[in-house]
Amino acid sequence: MRNGVGKTTTMRAVMGILRPVRGEIRWRGHPAGLADRLRFGYMPEERGLYPQMRVADQVTYFGRLHGLDRAGARDAAHEWIGRLGLAGREPDRLVALSHGNQQRVQLAVALVHHPELLVLDEPFAGLDPAAVDALSGILRGEAGSRTAILFSSHQLELVERLCDRVVILEEGHMLAAGTLGELRARLPRRLRVKAGGPPGWAGTLPGAAVAREDADGVLLVLRPGADTQAILRAAQAAGPVEHFGFECGGLADVYRELVPA
Amino acid sequence: MSREIAERLRGRLIWVMTALTAVAVAAIIVIPTLLRQPARPAVVGLVGARAQALAPALRAAATAATAATAATAATAATAAKTDVRTVRIASAASARARVKSGALDAALSVGQDAAVALASQSVSPTLTAVLQSVVDQAHLRQVLAAAGVPPGTAARALAPVPFSVTALQRGPIANPARATAALAAGLLLYLSLGIYGAAVANGVAQEKTSRTAELLLATVRPGQLLAGKVAGVGLCGLGQLGVAVAAGLVANAAVQRAQIPATVWVLLPALLLWFALGYAMYSFVFAAAGAMVARQEDVQLLTLPVAIPIIVGFLLVYITIATPNAWWIAVLSFLPPLAPILMPARIALGPVPACQLVANVAIMIVSIYGLGRLAARIYAGAIVRGGARLTWLGALRLRGSV
Repeated sequence: MRNGVGKTTTMRAVMGILRPVRGEIRWRGHPAGLADRLRFGYMPEERGLYPQMRVADQVTYFGRLHGLDRAGARDAAHEWIGRLGLAGREPDRLVALSHGNQQRVQLAVALVHHPELLVLDEPFAGLDPAAVDALSGILRGEAGSRTAILFSSHQLELVERLCDRVVILEEGHMLAAGTLGELRARLPRRLRVKAGGPPGWAGTLPGAAVAREDADGVLLVLRPGADTQAILRAAQAAGPVEHFGFECGGLADVYRELVPA
Repeated sequence: MSREIAERLRGRLIWVMTALTAVAVAAIIVIPTLLRQPARPAVVGLVGARAQALAPALRAAATAATAATAATAATAATAAKTDVRTVRIASAASARARVKSGALDAALSVGQDAAVALASQSVSPTLTAVLQSVVDQAHLRQVLAAAGVPPGTAARALAPVPFSVTALQRGPIANPARATAALAAGLLLYLSLGIYGAAVANGVAQEKTSRTAELLLATVRPGQLLAGKVAGVGLCGLGQLGVAVAAGLVANAAVQRAQIPATVWVLLPALLLWFALGYAMYSFVFAAAGAMVARQEDVQLLTLPVAIPIIVGFLLVYITIATPNAWWIAVLSFLPPLAPILMPARIALGPVPACQLVANVAIMIVSIYGLGRLAARIYAGAIVRGGARLTWLGALRLRGSV
């Protein structure tokens, strides 16, 4: 999704920070109220923590804000600080930590009260692959323990790997929503053909347009009713055919298809 | 409710700095008290036999002068003391040298027709009057004796007429203790309203720019966040004010600088009450200002208009001290922005009718309620709104969040 389409605004509405002009936020079949929101965990795009507060104090504080009692909050904070690899950094003030560690504290704050819904705004932005894997692991673990996770990202390959359902937003509207399979099904069929002939042989095929031409051959986008056998014959005529097969589109292709450039 | 308490935890992080500031304030009160030297008596050198003969008369006259001014002074301690110590000086040259060195305040020499008091730069008006009257009396005594008046009659004639000053109204000039108290009260309120108001504004601005507010608002309503911040900083402020006042009183008692007039026991609760009222009102407005910033640096710009009435109030305290009973001062002290500073000053300078006190408090409470609601609306709308710094009009038009 592009910037400014409204994903942050949507998340803020979910968390109750903004009031929607139209429509409502519903959770488990009823309109979401403050009691429900206390069971949500939130990680905004920009780190929103007190810079001078100590790590352990900060996580405990937010735990208490979410309804845990003092002892429970302290224990939960301790647990999550350990699970996220920050053991030993508890007495440090937030500003003393590296960016990566600060983000882990942010995550701890979101998770400390074992939320039912986790809302993360661009959690993978700026992370190196190792950190991405670590965060993905944590999220998968939480999802496995029946926590619902809502996150936004520009990195579509990541979204494909992690998500069950996807929503694509554009300029404040929902363009598409569904499982990956459902979204892919909306794509036109694609054919990848690698033939030994001169490049450009596929330029005038009926019912097909060339989407890409690279070292792996030609990617053709088929219009409905295209004659695949005719394309095969054309490829054979051009030269020996090494590869001829349908190719599933990815989320990026879905996005390109839906969002005018 | 526990969230409000937890929010107040924020105030405790400033606790260390607050304690330090409290100590500094106490020190400011104590140190000058310790360093102030007690008023020392004037030293008058008497040159020559005629001058030296006047020594006892001089000391008696000084005591009388003190007694006269005591009638209109608030306390014996603040009455203008004119203690005189007399020293016999052998020669004029030695007198000159000692006056020049400061050992003598004045050197009196009495000649046949004139008397001269030698001073390094000037002699205080009171001392001059005393010296003059003593010299005049001596001269009269001489003349009367030469004219053959019996010593008893002469003594009766020359005995000073009992003279005292009765004041119709205890004006502030004759009550330096009250004036000091009024000024101290005004200064304390000006400083604490300014400092704690700014603390609230800065805290709110920091929470906005660091997006902490966003995270907090997921769990608490904006009104709770606002109330928590105001209460947290306010309690710190009240505590520090109390500590500073207590430190001042203790220091004063220890050094016995000035006897505390009885009105102080009325002034202290008044000080704390109007600080609480004034802070409650101003802090809401400061918080709203803090919520309107785009960057932390905007805070100063936005809080300036809020601080102006506080400054004006403090300047008016000076005028109040000069004319405490002016009707327009009384009227101004009912304006909510000026009341917190002017009312304690008025109370320090003299009793204020109870109905005025009650009315003032009532007006303040209504203002706090009204401004609080307005500020909460601005706060709720502005605190999560990113982008450019808001103007006051723009902020008022915002629709609130949850």
